[in-house]
Amino acid sequence: MKSISLYVNRNSFVHDVDPITKLIYIAFAILVPIIVPSFTISFICVGISLVLLAFAKVLRKTVPVFSFVFLVLITVVIIQGLFKPENETVLFQLGPITMYQEGLLFALTITLRVLTIVSAFMILVLTTKPSELVESLVRKGMSPSIGYMIVSVFQIIPEMMAAVSTITDAQRARGMETEGSFFVRFKAFLPLMGPVVLGALINTKERAMALEVRGFNSQVQKTYLYEEKTYAYSRLIRALLLLAIAGALVWRILS
Amino acid sequence: MIKVKNLSFSYKQNPQVLSDIQLEFDQRSTAIIGQNGAGKTTFVKLLKGLLKPNAGQIVVKGQVIKEQTAAELSRTIGLVFQNPNDQIFKRSVLEEVMFGPLNIKMEKSEAKEKAIEALRLVGLEHQLDINPHDLSLSEKKLLCIASVIAMDTDIIIFDEPTIAQDSNGKEKIRRIIRTLKEKGKLVMTIIHDMDFVAENFERTIVFNQGRVLADGPTREVFSQKQELLRAKVEPPYITQLADKLGIPGTILTIDEFIAKYHSVK
Ligand SMILES: Nc1ncnc2c1ncn2[C@@H]1O[C@H](COP(=O)(O)OP(=O)(O)OP(=O)(O)O)[C@@H](O)[C@H]1O
Ligand SMILES: [Mg+2]
Repeated sequence: MKSISLYVNRNSFVHDVDPITKLIYIAFAILVPIIVPSFTISFICVGISLVLLAFAKVLRKTVPVFSFVFLVLITVVIIQGLFKPENETVLFQLGPITMYQEGLLFALTITLRVLTIVSAFMILVLTTKPSELVESLVRKGMSPSIGYMIVSVFQIIPEMMAAVSTITDAQRARGMETEGSFFVRFKAFLPLMGPVVLGALINTKERAMALEVRGFNSQVQKTYLYEEKTYAYSRLIRALLLLAIAGALVWRILS
Repeated sequence: MIKVKNLSFSYKQNPQVLSDIQLEFDQRSTAIIGQNGAGKTTFVKLLKGLLKPNAGQIVVKGQVIKEQTAAELSRTIGLVFQNPNDQIFKRSVLEEVMFGPLNIKMEKSEAKEKAIEALRLVGLEHQLDINPHDLSLSEKKLLCIASVIAMDTDIIIFDEPTIAQDSNGKEKIRRIIRTLKEKGKLVMTIIHDMDFVAENFERTIVFNQGRVLADGPTREVFSQKQELLRAKVEPPYITQLADKLGIPGTILTIDEFIAKYHSVK
């Protein structure tokens, strides 16, 4: 079964780390820069994430995501730098355009915050199979039904795309024009939706039965498909990350 | 009616599914046999214009099909899909069968007439308003057959029509194939039921790993033991029995066997 996920299969220690530790890392990368609002800390967090992505050999895969994020952020920088109401200190002037320090700093803060979040999430998404992530959450006590629901979301879109092509074939096999100009395709689109949605519903019903007959709801202890990842230093890393978050909190309260 | 020249095909980057197929089809009813994955379904989807060849040419009734869309081609070629769930998408039996005729610009009343006639042929004329998904697998398959027959094309291709059919259903399909043949249509059938092949088709083509391994009158093909073995196809039991008993020639049906048996005795 195809699945929409950005997971990239590589051999690296980042891939070997269990999903829960990666989730804690995300918490770390989001919380610490908020608790300790300094540019240096934010830069360090982004830096760590980038280094980890490089070690995971997936840096290239992040380019499209980062480009999109940058596109959005540049707009923020321009708008805030030019028009933020608190703008006072002129940084530089280009003809009629004046760039202000307050707005620019504010925009920079937002930019860094978004970058820390995006890069931390990227580590999880690019180096962890969705099903593996869900399974480790289920191990930690999440209900298997909710876990199954999450995994299905990753599968439903490719499944619907397959259904669309199957039904299109059935329709054009019996004389409905689906090829050619935009108008023709658009006209063919509407009669497609009914069967696709209906088919998805029927599938759901049958899948529920298939799950049922294979004991999905049985109360006994389930065996997991994937072997639990036990990276040698998982505990150490988790402890350090949590310690860092706690440390940041303490620093914040004391100062 | 159909000419296939140097046809090759593969799905995306995958290995070649069909390699350099050369075939010509005339009015003779034709069975296409061969082991699972030999490329039979792929071949008929190419004929039907649902897939595009990587190389080679298909000419149907004098027209190169590359220049037509699958929808245009559907006036000439009808295809009953292997999996009925891939073909059915309407919400009532009658609507499903009328879909094709309406698309080739038949009047509504005429389309309905054709649809009911086709449904009568397969024995579903009393279930017009039923949702196709509530039919049994064998009935779904018959519904698919009806919805293609209703379009009254000159060429009709069945992809494994006898799956899930009991002897009653097989008899229905046998009758349908005969009726279509009498109307002068080219009937082509992919099938794994060798008794059915021996009893009903004049010509047989054996596919093996994307190539045509044997092709000719059914009796001739079933006498080529080496080729059949290579294609992992078993001749009908009665043919094998006659062969083992040393009866000369190639026996295809029980009736032939009995006649031969009496004459030898
Ligand atoms: N949509 C597809 N994408 C990729 N490969 C495919 C696709 N459909 C079929 N194939 C592959 O092409 C080969 C030929 O398949 P095809 O369905 O034509 O075989 P067949 O002779 O009809 O077999 P069967 O008797 O099982 O119906 C198989 O190896 C199959 O796995
Ligand atoms: Mg097939």
